[in-house]
Amino acid sequence: MKLAAACSTAIIAALALAALPLVTSSNYIIGIGISALIFTVAAAALNLIYGFTGLLSFAQLGFWGIGGYTTALTVMTFGGTFWWGLVWAALLNAVIALIVGYPTLRTNRHAFVIVTLTFALLVTLIARDWVDLTRGPLGIPNLPPPSAFGYSFATTGQFYWVAWAFSVAMLGFLYALCSSRIGRTLIAIKQNEPLVRAQGIAPTPYKLAAFALSAAITGAAGGVYCFHLRVIDPLFLDFYYMQTFLIIVIIGGAGSFWGVVVSGAALSALPEILRFSEDLRMIIYGLILVAAMFVMPSGVAGWLRERQLARMREALR
Amino acid sequence: MTIDAVYLVQLTLNGIALGLLYALIAVGLSLIFGVMEIINFAHGELLMLGAFAMAFALPVMGLLYWPALAAAIIVTMLIGWAIYELLLVRLKPDEFERSILVTLGLSIILIHAMQYFFTATPRLVDTQYGFDGVEIGSIRITWTRVIGAGAAAAAFAGLYLVLRHTQFGRAMRAIAQNRDAALMVGIRPRVVARNAMILAAGLCGLAGAAIAPIQLVTPYMGQFLIFKAFALVIIGGLGNIPGAVAAAVGLGLIESWIGGFFEIAWQEAAVFVIMIVVLFLRPDGLFKRGGMRVG
Repeated sequence: MKLAAACSTAIIAALALAALPLVTSSNYIIGIGISALIFTVAAAALNLIYGFTGLLSFAQLGFWGIGGYTTALTVMTFGGTFWWGLVWAALLNAVIALIVGYPTLRTNRHAFVIVTLTFALLVTLIARDWVDLTRGPLGIPNLPPPSAFGYSFATTGQFYWVAWAFSVAMLGFLYALCSSRIGRTLIAIKQNEPLVRAQGIAPTPYKLAAFALSAAITGAAGGVYCFHLRVIDPLFLDFYYMQTFLIIVIIGGAGSFWGVVVSGAALSALPEILRFSEDLRMIIYGLILVAAMFVMPSGVAGWLRERQLARMREALR
Repeated sequence: MTIDAVYLVQLTLNGIALGLLYALIAVGLSLIFGVMEIINFAHGELLMLGAFAMAFALPVMGLLYWPALAAAIIVTMLIGWAIYELLLVRLKPDEFERSILVTLGLSIILIHAMQYFFTATPRLVDTQYGFDGVEIGSIRITWTRVIGAGAAAAAFAGLYLVLRHTQFGRAMRAIAQNRDAALMVGIRPRVVARNAMILAAGLCGLAGAAIAPIQLVTPYMGQFLIFKAFALVIIGGLGNIPGAVAAAVGLGLIESWIGGFFEIAWQEAAVFVIMIVVLFLRPDGLFKRGGMRVG
């Protein structure tokens, strides 16, 4: 009963969000909506690998950039469509994640963090220095709007539907995954890996699969986002994006699917409210991150869960 | 392509100088990881603050190199101490991800605060030595590079003696090797961790001050170096100080050679490729634990 109520709330919220371009014609507000949808997907993908599996991955930034460049190059250099670009972005990222993840997951979680971080930096450097492919700092401007069945998603309002459909599909997939037996296995790996092994489950394939899926989804999200911006250059790999995804996951509550979705929607609007100066805004981001780690390390969702548990303990007394 | 001997020697010397500066950063990271089991993400910003301290101290001291260097080291040590007392002291040793996120937040704050107050314009730092250098045959190296490399080498010798022969250093090694046993014989982890943080910050300040006259000083200068230092710490084995030094000097040489003969993209990619290969072959780092380690 509770599940049905939650599902219908989610469906109603999704349909209400789909109506945004009908309510307002302001490209500014719709643009924020597109960012919010895509950042939420990227944060939910980070939540899969960090919140559920317990592996802090900075490689998301690299996957985001590879996805953006793959989609843009598919359209501009190799003459494919936007939709195939997203497919290639997801596949390429999954393969790269397996190649990077396999040797790294053999070590320990400390090494995993550092290797993923270095990987993200490497992608930035390649985007800047491999001028023959990526056109270096000049970037690839004038990305054409995607089209399907003869209908072109040319305006910001029309592109919003693309972003909306993409986010709903990805979040639906991630929800199904996280609430399945696989999702529970991932949480078990995070909480007690030796116990998982003792139950006869090999953790490494699960970790690798979670890493590859999260890479594929982040890559596709990057592909959609760069067509929203209509341009891709090495700034697409600014560490700012990684910080945004991390802050969404941490404030929402790592390991809580809905917590991250709600905080994704709320926090994507935050940079727009804090518009006085880029540097001051980043200082505030940093302060929020440090404060959140000390005050509520498991995010809003974790804080609510702890309060609920405390109330239940109280009732038992 | 014919390989010119003079060119090769020049590249090698530059590579050693670069590698020694990488090593200063990597050693600090290794020391902190060994003692506290946390990774200090803001380590590159300590280097940046050291470089800025050098840039501000030099004009005040009439461009004299050594007093400015000392001032920069003292400033970064104080900042390291403050970071420990305000933030790191609250972290428990097993909270690895949390330590990363806290120091990541600190790094964002430091970079953007410096950019807000002092702008992102790169600064050129002039010293009493200017661009003078030593010339051996047709090889020429600027004094600032020679002194930077010399100071780094001296710092490693000093660090070795401190860790090996003083009570201060032995306590650090004891905590790194076995925390519980160290506690039982009366070593206070909090004091030792504070000392390690101040020592690591000082090494980083030295690196920053030495780099300031060689490179341009910007708020972002720490970020590029810290990523490499992270990779070096992995290649050398987490918490293994001699391993980190060896890996750093090796990387400096390899980067310098690659940069001399191939495209620049390969120079930057080298560190990552080496790290992945090392993890494939020896997951615990190139230098197996053993020998003198702080971790």
